[in-house]
Amino acid sequence: MKLLIWYGRLVTRRRLLGEGALLALGSVLWVTLLVVLPLLVMVALAFASRSEIGEVEWKFTFENFRRLAGYGILGWSADYLLILARSVWVAFVTTALCLALSYPLAFFIAGRSRLTRAVLLGLVIVPFCTNLVVRTLGWRVLFERAGLYPGPFAVFVGMVTSELPFALLPLYAVVERLDWSLVEAAQDLYASRSRVFLHAILPQTLPGLAAAIILTFIPTMGAFVVPGLLGGEKYWLVGNLIQQQFGESRDLPFGAAICLALLLLTLAGLFLVRRKGADALA
Amino acid sequence: MRYGAAAALLAAAALLGCSQAEKPKAQVIVYTYSEYIDPDLPKEFEKQTGIGARIDVYENTEEMMSKLQRGGASQYDVVVVSDHAVPVLAKLKLIQPLDPAKLPNAANVSEQFKSAPYDSGSKFSQPYQWGTVGLMYRKDKAADLEPSWAALLDPAKQPGPVVLIDSMRDMLGVALKSLGHSVNSRSTEELKAAAARVLDAKRSAKCLGFAPGVGGKSKVADASAVAAIVYSGDAVKACVEDDKLAYVIPKEGSIIWTDAMTVPAQAPNPDGAHRFINFILDPEVGAKLSDFNRCGTPNAASLKLIRKEDRDNPAIYPPADTLKKLEYIEDIGDATRLYDEIWTAVKAR
Amino acid sequence: MTRRLHPLLAVLAIVALAALYAPLAAVAYLSVNVNRQGFAWRGFTLNWYARLLGDSAILEAALNTLVLAVVSTAVATVLGTLLAIAMARFPWPRGVRRAFDLLVYLPVVTPDILFAAALVVAFQFLRGVSPAFRPGLLNMVLGHVSFQIAFVALVVGGRLATLGRSLEEAARDLYATPWYLFRRVTLPLLAPGIAAGAMLAFTLSLDDFVISFFTYSVESRTLPILIYASLRQGVSPEIHALSTLIVLATVCLVVALEALTRFRKE
Repeated sequence: MKLLIWYGRLVTRRRLLGEGALLALGSVLWVTLLVVLPLLVMVALAFASRSEIGEVEWKFTFENFRRLAGYGILGWSADYLLILARSVWVAFVTTALCLALSYPLAFFIAGRSRLTRAVLLGLVIVPFCTNLVVRTLGWRVLFERAGLYPGPFAVFVGMVTSELPFALLPLYAVVERLDWSLVEAAQDLYASRSRVFLHAILPQTLPGLAAAIILTFIPTMGAFVVPGLLGGEKYWLVGNLIQQQFGESRDLPFGAAICLALLLLTLAGLFLVRRKGADALA
Repeated sequence: MRYGAAAALLAAAALLGCSQAEKPKAQVIVYTYSEYIDPDLPKEFEKQTGIGARIDVYENTEEMMSKLQRGGASQYDVVVVSDHAVPVLAKLKLIQPLDPAKLPNAANVSEQFKSAPYDSGSKFSQPYQWGTVGLMYRKDKAADLEPSWAALLDPAKQPGPVVLIDSMRDMLGVALKSLGHSVNSRSTEELKAAAARVLDAKRSAKCLGFAPGVGGKSKVADASAVAAIVYSGDAVKACVEDDKLAYVIPKEGSIIWTDAMTVPAQAPNPDGAHRFINFILDPEVGAKLSDFNRCGTPNAASLKLIRKEDRDNPAIYPPADTLKKLEYIEDIGDATRLYDEIWTAVKAR
Repeated sequence: MTRRLHPLLAVLAIVALAALYAPLAAVAYLSVNVNRQGFAWRGFTLNWYARLLGDSAILEAALNTLVLAVVSTAVATVLGTLLAIAMARFPWPRGVRRAFDLLVYLPVVTPDILFAAALVVAFQFLRGVSPAFRPGLLNMVLGHVSFQIAFVALVVGGRLATLGRSLEEAARDLYATPWYLFRRVTLPLLAPGIAAGAMLAFTLSLDDFVISFFTYSVESRTLPILIYASLRQGVSPEIHALSTLIVLATVCLVVALEALTRFRKE
């Protein structure tokens, strides 16, 4: 048995990892039981079917996925794919707008004195900590007054203001540590403003950008509360679809299939961003 | 280390406490639609029987049904459900058959409700209130509104901001009725036509979107909308408080509903539940209930005791020729998926 | 010159910041407006706040929200801290390390609805074991903790990373036992991180809507669920008053947290 010295202790690796496992046991068990296992069960559920009165029948079938792909009773229709696409679109536009706003905000804050910076960051965090439903209530009131409720503008304003801190904070973290000498060098070479940004600033902010995208785009794909409340419940997103299946339709297998679709999109998004981020850094 | 153990114990105790916190005492827990019972009635029940009655509310039938399926059947004593849910709940064994011996007041119920299509012989339920689905609108913004579903479904005829109803069966039912079909249609063609109609209405700039019945009522009442699809009870309550509001059943016909009292399969206090149902079926209690709800009473004995203006109000008690155009929503069994896909199409496009 | 922002962009930044407060201001304005419906100013009143105290449904929801947040934060802080320590202070093989990373990052990036759906399925099966797992406070606590753990672990882990080994190794050199080391050296050093993690978990629980929505029962309704229901069914001015109070409470909480971390740094 190999002994090693760990933080001043002489102990076997086995014993050490045993202690570590004990410490981690509670959390790992909790998350495994309530999140990981159910997600695996959902993989199985997605291949099950629904009885006439709404109970789960464990008969293997691809029906749920065929239905998701559009092969329904009414012939082929793109409704479910439309809903998925709309969710991705809302996430994409929200993320793009958040980034477009976060860059100026990050630079604005970074350029101030230490005290002002702390105050400004605090100002950003406070609304974020208030309740989502409360903020949406406020937006609805304002947009009703402006005649813009319900509508896409209202939805995106609501979404962007909800997600802004997730984009801003990672970006701010890298902007604060920006190496301005590179920027100055670019300017000494008479580069235009946009070239300075694209070649001297942007590449340095890539890790923060990647984090900002991951934290904004992926959770937003599942958003449905804010778009629903500000969009008059007119257009369903993936979240509404899942809610419908778990609620009114009592079709758990189909709901599980939709969840899997969303999960796959999430993982694909994660993979893409990390891949691109890694490529860019190389 | 000791602190860790103490913290863990405290947390465990708290967790345990949470699950115990909802143990009922000597009471019945009634699960019903919001604002659907006169707040005096639970107190009267307690005075008469010594059993406390706690009222909890839900927003729509299907959410209630899925809650019952997910373990809610052991949390409530009496659940007031929509008519079309009764046979499904019975098949799912989520509700228990009622004991007629404990319900002497059931004799008061009107004949047509005793043998209702959704539960003939009243094996699993007793009727609570009945009403209709109709068009609620503002007289000050649309004084000469034609009483037709076109006011909501036809973008050219929408008098201003309108609200559709966010309930699959009710919304599709209304659209089907507006095209002259049955609300329980299983025909793909008819349903597609109904969906197209709702989509036209939804896409109009004047459509404020979908809201539950009572949400539509609120929007019309505070003038942010001109017309909405509302349940009769909510609508009449609002109209009585504000004479600028009106409720009408469109000429194409509409939906008639009955809400029924049932007892969940694992009710904590089934005996108390039966006493509560019997209490509601008492003639005077039934009259007080309908006076509060402004809904139709299924209780023949209560009919003589309710407020006279309500008895004469066609919004609550439609005349015979209107009644002929009203249809019950029935469970569509294996057509559920068809309806689901149609509704998804309505919400997706 | 290099650090100066194009004036247009600066204006954009300020507008964005102000926009974050617009809805909160609107709700606050309506909460003291005599006007029941509509936006026009009809006079100042604190009536709507007074009526809050008489509304038992709101008071019950407030209590539920608080109990849920406190209990779930307590459990999650303990479990999350232990997890962070386990992850950082032990020589795991690479595969295990990556599994831990996944465990901790997944809740942060996963859409809420997937979490909620998984919980619904989980409780469906757990109900086969015991009927206690029906929609209600217990399920909500279990659900909240399952995503709070990751956030606590991330925050505490971050603090752990900055601590380094020297202090702990010095204590070891003085013959401290592992548990003494933990209690008297590691824990006090970690305290600010644990406090920050706890506050983050607390805020997340208070703000949560989706997970609560899929696990609640009527008795265990929380304030966000109540406000959402009124948004769908018709908003009364009392809801505006309630919302403003929630915002004020949150502001106080955040300011307190900032003060705490700043004080501790000194």
